[in-house]
Amino acid sequence: MRQREHRQNYLGARGWVWAGRYQMERHLYVLHRVTGLGLLLFGIIHLIITTFFRMGDKDTWESAISVVHNPVLKVGAYLVVAAFIFHALNGLRLILQEFGFALGRPIPPIYPYKDALRKKRRLAVILIAVIAILAVVFLYDFAAGGG
Amino acid sequence: MRTRFHLIHIVTGVLIAVFLSIHIVRLHLDDILDSNDPNSWESMIHRATDGMWAALYIALLAVALYHALYGLRGIILELTPSARAGRVTTWCLVAIGIAAFGWGTYVPIHLLSS
Repeated sequence: MRQREHRQNYLGARGWVWAGRYQMERHLYVLHRVTGLGLLLFGIIHLIITTFFRMGDKDTWESAISVVHNPVLKVGAYLVVAAFIFHALNGLRLILQEFGFALGRPIPPIYPYKDALRKKRRLAVILIAVIAILAVVFLYDFAAGGG
Repeated sequence: MRTRFHLIHIVTGVLIAVFLSIHIVRLHLDDILDSNDPNSWESMIHRATDGMWAALYIALLAVALYHALYGLRGIILELTPSARAGRVTTWCLVAIGIAAFGWGTYVPIHLLSS
């Protein structure tokens, strides 16, 4: 039997940040990777900064907090929260799919085919809606003056 | 063994989703929840000296470091370096993780006892 050739990875390392003409799940994969790297970068900065300001006294801490509350850094903090919400819920989607949940029972391939990607699509859309709702809730709190 | 590391990656991911949600809801939803300012010095000292919060933060630090560095390792190893370069990468990330965990637990605990 002829071995079916695998599709080549045409995008290469560029595919880390660009989904090309692939479908929605590929964009989610790119976002998952970008938000993951961003959260790692933020986490390291967060660990260093909070421990150093923690070593000072009350005045050092409060002056640091007032710096963090300037508008530019608040937008940055909101982006970190939004990245976390996306990364967590998309990760949940990946875990569900990896263990075979939410894919339905196996069925015989009768036209029109219900392939795995189409079965997964509904879950992806629902999770994007949940991500959007949570992002709006946190946006409200950031706009209301919270940190 | 590799699948076991991947399974730990999944489990730590779920744990981070729980722990970091608690952290973020407390630190960022203060207006909606109508709680006191979480960024004040007193609030921070309260969390740092409270056993449950300290345990939560140390657990979060440990699982987040594993999850983040294992994820970063996967991305770096996609560049298909030699097996030797892969091993060097792995052990560098292990060293970074241990150093960050030591630093992130030593500073709060040392300050609490002084």
